[in-house]
Amino acid sequence: MLDLSFGNNILIYGVIASAISFLVTLIATPKMISSLIAQGSVVQDYHKPGRPNVPRPAGPVLLAGIVASEIVLYLLTLNMTIMAIMLSTVIAFIVGFIDDRKVLPGWFKPVALIAAAMPLIIFQAHGTHLNLIFGNVFIPLLYILLILAIIPIVGNTINSIDVLNGVVTGFVIITIMPLLVSIAIFGDNEVFLAALPLLFGTIALYGYHKFPSKIFVGDSGTLVMGSMYGAVAIAGNSEIIGVIALLPAVMNSFLFLSSVKKIVEHRQVRQRPTILGTDFKLAASQEKNAPITLVRLILANGPLSEKEIGYYIFKLALFSSSLAFISIFIQYHFLLGVYR
Amino acid sequence: MRLLGLLGFITVMWTIILAITAFLINFVAPIDFVLFRNGLDRILVSLMQASIAIVIIVILVWGLNKMKKIYMQKKLQL
Repeated sequence: MLDLSFGNNILIYGVIASAISFLVTLIATPKMISSLIAQGSVVQDYHKPGRPNVPRPAGPVLLAGIVASEIVLYLLTLNMTIMAIMLSTVIAFIVGFIDDRKVLPGWFKPVALIAAAMPLIIFQAHGTHLNLIFGNVFIPLLYILLILAIIPIVGNTINSIDVLNGVVTGFVIITIMPLLVSIAIFGDNEVFLAALPLLFGTIALYGYHKFPSKIFVGDSGTLVMGSMYGAVAIAGNSEIIGVIALLPAVMNSFLFLSSVKKIVEHRQVRQRPTILGTDFKLAASQEKNAPITLVRLILANGPLSEKEIGYYIFKLALFSSSLAFISIFIQYHFLLGVYR
Repeated sequence: MRLLGLLGFITVMWTIILAITAFLINFVAPIDFVLFRNGLDRILVSLMQASIAIVIIVILVWGLNKMKKIYMQKKLQL
């Protein structure tokens, strides 16, 4: 539970961490856009008339904002959990950045992201109890294996929801809210503070990534968001709450994997789940072998514009976040007086 | 209501998560007390508990796959 007593400066530290992450990302992104355009690091936006070139990736600016905040937080608190979360995020960024630069096989990201889980284990940023809504279980050894699985799974789950302009950033902003509340109740001050830069950095980035995108996040950006989300969920004793908040993205990953039946990159799949119409509206593919995705299911009732699909995904995120809040309420009821 | 089916799917997934966590807390976790007290090795007890949890996850994925197939047939006529 958050300790709000006078003298521990949580409000001041929170404002500092949030402001640094927000301002660094907000100010650095236009410079990054100009730099990427000058380098020719652009990709076509297939869903717009004329297929305009959009610079990619925005991962480095998001990471810069988060790392600057986390370093200041570490200097203020000297808490090693903050360092572990930051290192985990940096390793995930490196994995994503390699994937942004080179076309790699589908197994690369999940396997390489295991390395991003290591700082959490080395710095012992995790607990020994897993909160399971109706109670908690003591699993000191199993927990380590769980961490090695959580970071790659959450990283790739967030990566898989980066489907259209603004979707992944908007989705993370919505779904981090219940996670922050859960960390505030079941975690501690330092983890709560460490999670704030992810929220505020992503809010700043959303301004450039929303429809029509001025920059694409890229794998480096999505893996920064996903791995940090997983890292703060682990350090903040809020793993199951995080899973519930991310249910639309979990569902998207599950549907995709169970329809293609192997771990592959989206670009490696020959048949597309959606079809782009002449009016630039997207429609669900009627091909039997096309991958099943969240967007394809949203489009099953008829074509929609890119912007409309984004709003529908946000509505699903709001719904799953509401379920996560209900779960927090239940967990609070069951763990009250039992926890710590 | 374009999202009605998807909201239902998410609600079912959430309900399954709650059911599994309740099962783990009420039935799998207490195994520890019973078997550990009866002299079984702690690692062995933990392995048994982990195995049960993994079997439950496999059943969950299998169940979700079945649910997905029914939902797909209804929604996309596949």
